[in-house]
Amino acid sequence: MEQSFAKRTLRDIAAVLTVGVFMFPLFWWALTSIKPMYAIFNKDKVVVFDFVPTLINYAVVLLGWSRAEIAIESGSTFGVGGTSSYDSRQTIVDSIIIAVGSTVLTIIIATLAAYALSRMRFKGRDGYLNWVLGQRFLPPIAIIVPLVGMYKVAGMRDTDNLFLGYIGLIIIHSLMNLPIAVLLLKSFFDDVPKDVDEAAMIDGATRWQTFGKVVLPMVRGGVAAAAVLCFIFSWTEFLLSLFLTTIIRTVPVKITTFVTSTGSEWGFISALGTAAILPGFIFILLVQRHLVRGLTLGSLKE
Amino acid sequence: MSEAVVPRDRPSDLPMPRWRWLTSEHPLPWLLPGAALMIIFGIYPLLYALWLSLHKRNPVTRLNVFDPDHNWAKALGDQRVWDAVATTLLYTGVALVIQLVLGLLIALLLDTDRKGYGVLRALMTLPLVVPPAVTGMMFLLMLDGSFGVLSRSLYAVGLLSPQFPILATSSTALAGVLLADIWQWTPFMVLIMLAGLRSLPKEPFEAAAIDGATAVQAFFKLTLPMMSKVIAIAVLIRGIDLFRIFDYVKVMTDSGPGTATETLTSYAGRIYFNGDFPYASTLSLITLLLVIIASTLFMKIFRVKL
Repeated sequence: MEQSFAKRTLRDIAAVLTVGVFMFPLFWWALTSIKPMYAIFNKDKVVVFDFVPTLINYAVVLLGWSRAEIAIESGSTFGVGGTSSYDSRQTIVDSIIIAVGSTVLTIIIATLAAYALSRMRFKGRDGYLNWVLGQRFLPPIAIIVPLVGMYKVAGMRDTDNLFLGYIGLIIIHSLMNLPIAVLLLKSFFDDVPKDVDEAAMIDGATRWQTFGKVVLPMVRGGVAAAAVLCFIFSWTEFLLSLFLTTIIRTVPVKITTFVTSTGSEWGFISALGTAAILPGFIFILLVQRHLVRGLTLGSLKE
Repeated sequence: MSEAVVPRDRPSDLPMPRWRWLTSEHPLPWLLPGAALMIIFGIYPLLYALWLSLHKRNPVTRLNVFDPDHNWAKALGDQRVWDAVATTLLYTGVALVIQLVLGLLIALLLDTDRKGYGVLRALMTLPLVVPPAVTGMMFLLMLDGSFGVLSRSLYAVGLLSPQFPILATSSTALAGVLLADIWQWTPFMVLIMLAGLRSLPKEPFEAAAIDGATAVQAFFKLTLPMMSKVIAIAVLIRGIDLFRIFDYVKVMTDSGPGTATETLTSYAGRIYFNGDFPYASTLSLITLLLVIIASTLFMKIFRVKL
């Protein structure tokens, strides 16, 4: 459709403004992370650009600088004393281990199930699909109380054994991500014609060989998309990580501990927050093509 | 057994037909790992929660005594539960309407092949990957009563008064939390509506244009009806997720001020931290029941299936 120049320009302006409004909180967040304290907590005016940028907030959360070091560096006495509980290096390592671990576990389990659900005809197939779908919509809060009990008994909640703690969160994040992975992968398997399997099996391949050597390589893109979504959802998960463990603090949980009754350390919060957002941004741009399919559990394709 | 008739064309059928259900020819080994995970960490805790909800906790002995009516009757008579249900419904309804309308409008705005719009569409997806707890913090910072950039802008245009900070005032706190939700999840709607718009056939629109229909007429007579399935799916998924809202409330207001922003899940969480596990389980089961009822009704009325 032909549109006049004026109309087109108007649309461009509206589009840029709309996206700009949605980008503003991210911009403000990143900006806050490089502000010194006096610029963040200024009650007289909103400081936008008239400050000296600093990386101190990042040094504290990502390099583990102590409060004394900050005080010397910034020439301020605000908050001197006390040990630094803002060092988030362990938290980031924990979050990566859990997100990667649960992604791997989810993808293995989900690929197997999705293949059978896509390729085999058997009694209970629809039942299994509905069960998976129901699991997606089960509010985590509904199972959290018994889970805490189970995790205590299994020694995965409040132990000194980091490994057990990891296993606990990896399992529960896998459960949370299983539905989206199964349904998304099934929709990718459905895209591969069945003739492919049949040809392989006529040539004497078993189901397992057909799956591993023929069909799986054809849905690599789908597996990658599912993996990225699993990683992001595990990385951003809050409720289960908050309730189920007392020794491990994932990034979203850790960040909320920076808010205290005596005041919130917005510099540290926004620095860790900005660092926490970046992996998601990079990954999401990689799977733009399959995002809609993933978010609608395979029911809509782009 | 009819083994004599069935052609033995697959090698694995040959050696041990009795153990066929353990081989890759049978669906069982494929589905078992997923089923095991869902039974042990999904079904079992759910049944355990049900068991707990039928027991009364003795705060002194810390023992659970069988008393099937106790928690459920307590929940029905608990004004805080009803308030939490009302807050949850209000939150879900308002967020859903705003996100859907905004999502549709922005999708229409961005749905063009012109240069540069691909970048805008990609940018629009970024809020989706921010951890919700971090989103809550972002808005907590921007809505801070004394130095928050959003609060101060609202003071400047006279929409808010500094005496009533948005998150610390009962009547506006929920709106503040909603703001975070709308920022994060409108992109979800935009994305799905864009996919829907792109899948529409071109011919009806060309015919309508020849017949002299305006863009607005074409939108209401063609676009909306043809998008109804996509819209229904988006509303269903988003609606269920909204109903179990936890992160933003926990981070931004912790149900406050008072109980002004207390949703069902946050009330259940609070009871849990107070140690009354049977009652916390009952409340979380009520959340589950309401989700099931609402989504089933929705799927029946709008004839959608995921």
